[in-house]
Amino acid sequence: MISRVADHCFWFGRYIERAEATARMLGASVSLALDAELPPAQVWRTVIVVSGEEARYLSRVAADDENHPAWGDGELAQRFLVWDEDSGVSLCRSIQGMRWNARSIREVVSHEAWEAVNELHLWMRDDVSATTFAQHREGFYQYVRRSTQLTLGLLRSTMLHDEPLDFMWLGVLLERVNQTARMLDVHHHAFTHLSRRHEVVETALWLSLLRALSGSEAYLKRAAGRISSEGVARFLISEPAFPRSIAYCVHSAYSRLCDIRPPESHELPGGIALERLRVLDTWISARRAEPLAGTGVHDLLTHVVDEVHDICETVGRELLGAPPAAVPTA
Amino acid sequence: MVHSQSQSQSQGSGPGLFDGYPALAGTFDEMFAEGGVARAPFARIAGLLAKVTNDELARSQALAEAALLHQGVTFSVYGDSRGTEKIFPFCLLPRLIAADDFRRLERGLQQRLRALGMFLDDIYGDQKILAAGVIPPDMVLGAAGYCATLRGVKPPGGVRIHISGVDLIRDPDGTWRVLEDNLRTPSGVSYVVENRLLSKRMFPRMLDAARVHRVDHYPTRLAETLRSVSPTQASGSDGNAVVLTPGPYNSAYFEHSFLARTMGLELVQAPDLFVDGDKVYCRTTRGPRRIDVIYRRTDEAFLDPEVFRPDSVLGVAGLMRAYAAGNVALANAPGNGVADDKAVYPFVPDMIEFYLSETPILEQVPTYVCLFEDDRKYVLEHLDQMVVKAVDESGGYGMLMGPQSTAEERDEFRRRIEAEPRRYIAQHRIELSSCPTWIAERGAVEPRRVDLRPYILTSREGPWVLPGGLTRVALKRGSYVVNSSQGGGSKDTWVMRDP
Repeated sequence: MISRVADHCFWFGRYIERAEATARMLGASVSLALDAELPPAQVWRTVIVVSGEEARYLSRVAADDENHPAWGDGELAQRFLVWDEDSGVSLCRSIQGMRWNARSIREVVSHEAWEAVNELHLWMRDDVSATTFAQHREGFYQYVRRSTQLTLGLLRSTMLHDEPLDFMWLGVLLERVNQTARMLDVHHHAFTHLSRRHEVVETALWLSLLRALSGSEAYLKRAAGRISSEGVARFLISEPAFPRSIAYCVHSAYSRLCDIRPPESHELPGGIALERLRVLDTWISARRAEPLAGTGVHDLLTHVVDEVHDICETVGRELLGAPPAAVPTA
Repeated sequence: MVHSQSQSQSQGSGPGLFDGYPALAGTFDEMFAEGGVARAPFARIAGLLAKVTNDELARSQALAEAALLHQGVTFSVYGDSRGTEKIFPFCLLPRLIAADDFRRLERGLQQRLRALGMFLDDIYGDQKILAAGVIPPDMVLGAAGYCATLRGVKPPGGVRIHISGVDLIRDPDGTWRVLEDNLRTPSGVSYVVENRLLSKRMFPRMLDAARVHRVDHYPTRLAETLRSVSPTQASGSDGNAVVLTPGPYNSAYFEHSFLARTMGLELVQAPDLFVDGDKVYCRTTRGPRRIDVIYRRTDEAFLDPEVFRPDSVLGVAGLMRAYAAGNVALANAPGNGVADDKAVYPFVPDMIEFYLSETPILEQVPTYVCLFEDDRKYVLEHLDQMVVKAVDESGGYGMLMGPQSTAEERDEFRRRIEAEPRRYIAQHRIELSSCPTWIAERGAVEPRRVDLRPYILTSREGPWVLPGGLTRVALKRGSYVVNSSQGGGSKDTWVMRDP
């Protein structure tokens, strides 16, 4: 497979997942702001921090003031994370990135999946999306979520299950590890440091986090209805059967990379990335039996985010564009 | 969607499509003869179309355009930083071609492509046609498309014009005439296939009733053509063909990806390829892979910075060495531009007689070659009636449209022709044929001028003509310009099977 094409596949997958994660998080936060009697800044500042756009928000929206009312303004925060063309993580940029990568490998993406991507792109550029955003916020996020889910489903059901799809899925999974880890980290930090801890509020917060990750039903099944900070953290980190848990995503990403670059094929590039992903996978599963206390959650998640960042870089260097070392003698 | 129910409902209610159709005086109408009667081979299909109402057609037309946009069947608009893409305007009313007519075109095009191929072999070989005095050597060797460095290089498989598109027009008598040959990187064939998909969706019963030749096997034939010239074919391998595109910013990118996708080949960009030991390789996730056929949609000038433009970033350094060594087939072969040069065009009928000893089947547009004294005298005396073209310019530049010109413009061209007669040819303006066309803003069917670009694939076994083609239509009222960049659109072209 052509390295440039593999690169587009990988980033196509990452942008799909990023668009979906942003839509999920914003939708869940709207509902959280209504349900839990939290100071608005507690909700929206968290959202901005999770997206990694704290500095830009501070200068662009909050007038360089840490106590600016914009930190608690759900409208401003949402508009920023949906429409800001300069932010690398805004919904409109993710959808552009998704479409640009797909169009660059138009001959690789199946016709039906391409059409789903293109329709989302056209919808986003059309006035109808702005109108929906203004009049029916939940419908807006739902449309994005469903379109990205449709795309992922069509990719799996209409494409050959070989290298291009493996690279797309590798991108989806590594992006998902990141999204889950950051969401959990920031929320865990915020919720365990609430000034007035209150059981009802805390329950609402954890449920909202689970909903943002489409995991509330799955969690409640596993936990028999008991909601606790440690229970939720453990579920999102280690639950092997939940498709958005860190353990599940890291393990699946490792399997995808094994298909792309079999562990025994030492002559092929990609060995370093594969080994690092294997080590991370092993490390995550080993954490399952250990207690999660104090700053343990934060330290664990920081390690995961850092490792995933390095693994993505290594994949890029080894598989997605570096020129070949030598020409084989044919 | 036109389905049986709405068709029966529409009978007798509201005006039919062709009620009050105003034929365009002085043109040959493709569907209707004098007096508004449908031409005999099209009587049945014209009758079916006439039952569609304007409202139904407007609705189908809007659906078709939405489908094109959703599927991303678009071209990039150059100079637009937001990367705007547009659909190529499309008219659902098909352009019909009778079986007899097309059979003649087919034979004529095959003959023409055989002669043009032999001409290229000769020019890059012994140059017998020049020695025989059939074409003035200066016309050929001075052409911008002539590549002296390629003399003596034999293309793998012996084919040079794998893919061609020949532009044809029809004069007021209904005579088909070749307007120009496109032997380098002709585009538009993806619209032929896509337009047919729209016809199938919008007019399913009609298409069936009309007994139309299919066009969707073009990509399969193209893939066979490419395989047939693979230099490693003899060793039993299936070869490894790719499509080379300048990239997603190119206006024809949709077509490049379309062809790669429908042939199941990889679409590569220049940085994906490199040359080592005069062999071409592709950079893959599993290391280099040998490539032996390249359907290149990059202009020759950008193909190899070692040979052509050194500033090209769209090229592959060393590609021409690999080609000259016979290790990679390029489709189309570099150097073809000498055969579709405007100055060489007037001599194609002479080539047919010289190489094939046959009488040319297809007419072309009578052309005056200013290098010849008699022709030059005639052109200078009739400048106000002629279209004068500089042979080394295209896209409407360097042209004098005599009937619309001012005295100063004519004087300017007179000076230029006298200074450099070789650079100029002249033709009388030919009135293009017209075709019933849906004009949305007027909510009615009106005649508009059309041309036709059939596509010809040449493999080791010889030329094959796709029974169909791209009908381009000048959508602006009174316009002769069919180019998509200047208000042109396209139509599906229905070539009738034998009755």
